[in-house]
Amino acid sequence: MPPELDIIWRNIDYLLWGRLAQGELGGLLLSVVIALASGVLALCVGIALAILAWFSTGPVRRVLFLWADLIRGIPLIFVIFWVYFLVPALFGGNIPGTVSVILALAWFTSAAVMYSTLSGLQALSGGQREAALSTGLSEIQTLVWVLLPQALINLVPSYVSLFASLIKDTSLAFIVNVPELTMVASQVNNRTQLYPTTIFLFTAAMYFVLCGGLSLLVRRLMRRPVTASWD
Amino acid sequence: MGFSVDFAGVLSGAPLHWLLTGFLTTIVVTIAASLVASLLAVILLGLRISESRAARVGAAGLIELFRNTPFLVQMMFWYFAAFGLLPTGIRDWINAEHSWATFPGNIPLVSPEFIASTWGLGIFSAVFIAEEIRAGLLALPKGQSEAAQSQGFGHWASLRFILLPQALTNSFQSVVGQYLNLMKLSSLATAIGLAEITYQVRQIESYNSHAIEAFAVGTSLYLLLGLAMGRLMLAFAPKRRDGRNETGAGNAA
Amino acid sequence: MTDSFSPVIEFRSVTKSYGTTPVIRGIDLSVAQGEVVVVCGPSGSGKSTLIRLVNRLESLTSGDILIDGHSTASYRGAALQRLRTGIGFVFQQFNLYGHLTAAENIALAPRKVLGLSAEEALSRARELLKRVGLSDKEASYPSQLSGGQQQRVAIARALAMQPKILLFDEPTSALDPEMIGEVLTVIRQLAETGITMLVVTHEMGFAREIADRVIFIDGGVILEDAPPEQFFLATRHPRAQRFLRQLLSPLHTTGD
Repeated sequence: MPPELDIIWRNIDYLLWGRLAQGELGGLLLSVVIALASGVLALCVGIALAILAWFSTGPVRRVLFLWADLIRGIPLIFVIFWVYFLVPALFGGNIPGTVSVILALAWFTSAAVMYSTLSGLQALSGGQREAALSTGLSEIQTLVWVLLPQALINLVPSYVSLFASLIKDTSLAFIVNVPELTMVASQVNNRTQLYPTTIFLFTAAMYFVLCGGLSLLVRRLMRRPVTASWD
Repeated sequence: MGFSVDFAGVLSGAPLHWLLTGFLTTIVVTIAASLVASLLAVILLGLRISESRAARVGAAGLIELFRNTPFLVQMMFWYFAAFGLLPTGIRDWINAEHSWATFPGNIPLVSPEFIASTWGLGIFSAVFIAEEIRAGLLALPKGQSEAAQSQGFGHWASLRFILLPQALTNSFQSVVGQYLNLMKLSSLATAIGLAEITYQVRQIESYNSHAIEAFAVGTSLYLLLGLAMGRLMLAFAPKRRDGRNETGAGNAA
Repeated sequence: MTDSFSPVIEFRSVTKSYGTTPVIRGIDLSVAQGEVVVVCGPSGSGKSTLIRLVNRLESLTSGDILIDGHSTASYRGAALQRLRTGIGFVFQQFNLYGHLTAAENIALAPRKVLGLSAEEALSRARELLKRVGLSDKEASYPSQLSGGQQQRVAIARALAMQPKILLFDEPTSALDPEMIGEVLTVIRQLAETGITMLVVTHEMGFAREIADRVIFIDGGVILEDAPPEQFFLATRHPRAQRFLRQLLSPLHTTGD
């Protein structure tokens, strides 16, 4: 085996799942776990916020948008800093780096989920809402039974793309020393100092398979017209 | 320990000096990378919409590669791997002192960190900028290109005179968003040791543990820069000529 | 059937403006139990707004609309919902829910608003689908139905709440000509059941056939209010005359 491949081979378990045997999750598996956890959180929070924004007017809505713009206006790395340092400062104690990264990514992504969900709701024809209201459904029933079911299905592709971004964003966990894929790859690189090209190409390939797969999925989903042609 | 805020430890002495040079470095690397990004975006877009199938497929593959891997990994690749693949002569030259290319505040413009950051940010953003403009082209009604063709416009002429002007107007907001994103992403250059804002903020945090204050100042600097950039770029916004209302500055904050 | 003196719908000095643009400028109108009133007028005349005010898809700017003698101007929330439950509305664009089958479209409100069980609601939906001649389409999604079929499902959906009043907003304007007949047949049958109906339409032959009264509205005011014979044969207002001439002219093209 050529030495370039040998270095990957000797570290493959470390790169893929860290020191799982010693109970320390790491590598690619940790990246996926972080992405999944923060993705689920962001989806719940983001949809809840979109519903709040849908029903609110004036100040509440403005505060929501200001909050979302603020989050999107600063580098993600600072969102992670804030969670990592501010949460212990405010509530005492320490939170593990992994948890703070999950919270930070969820926080950051929930703003994007809120925006997409709101625009998904707004993209439905106004006639859907009027039809539901005119049969006597309340505003909440209209949202739950008529608007959300259609909007959420239409939004699946954009949620999947957000999840792909989330997988890429887990690489920022290096800033608080969480041993996810990018972190362990640069550790292996520092330790060996020999084949950086191989190591980083391998790392990129891992992400590419995951995210490229997801964007193929998105493209497949988009091709199937999910919006019915009823108007 | 309680939670008290003391900005004096951040806004005076060495920390203040660090923050200022960090701020300058972020501005300089953002401008340099934006220029690289604009140039590469034009080339990529040209390939992506050219008449040659090979060029289109090649550009599409390149774009997918850059879109589906984390920017941080790309930057580490450029810095740790690609730089090492350069001929020794060039590497030595880059590593040498360059007093002529040192920006006020001791910011070296010819250094592996600066070059890798500029190139990495530039090519990454170019991919996204090119794709935003292409999305603007795809969103145009088919009738536009059919009308152009029926009047005898060729491929490039119809792009130049009919399609691109409309696509640029439509995608301008998103393109501005990509340049703002470039600025925010420059914070990741801290990972390869470029002494920009984020790097300096972390340095202050380990120097006198005024972490919260340092982050607050860092956050404000990025917000400030984002607002200024957004304003500046929107001033160059093409005027809509189709009578539709201009939308607000969305994500300018 | 204008013997009853307690109108089902009564407009009292109703006005509606969008910003500073008035659309309805002071309308008084009574509709008796079982009456079929056809509303016509040029596009932009305010005729759609007029019926959308009844179930408050548009808010009132001033005035009041009495339903069964009850003032509704102050209705909000639950009261508004109860009002809408008793009034069926059929849209120009059908507005069927894209994610539900024909039967589910009809059964949704009976289940969620009236609290019917799934079986009860489904059997009601089937009954109504049979009534509009679409028994075989209960499992079809809106995208699988023709425009005429979608509009018949929409009518069945409006009937599902057993309303006392039915409002139609240009129910055939979005249909291909060959599908207009099937929808008009369903509406004609409904007109004979004694349900109170307000119908906005351009189908003048149909209006003549089913209407107890025809109302011509332009510029947000009622210019003509007459039984069909009188409206079509002895049109009084010059603007109504011009409207009818244009509509009956061989060069007239439908759709606005």
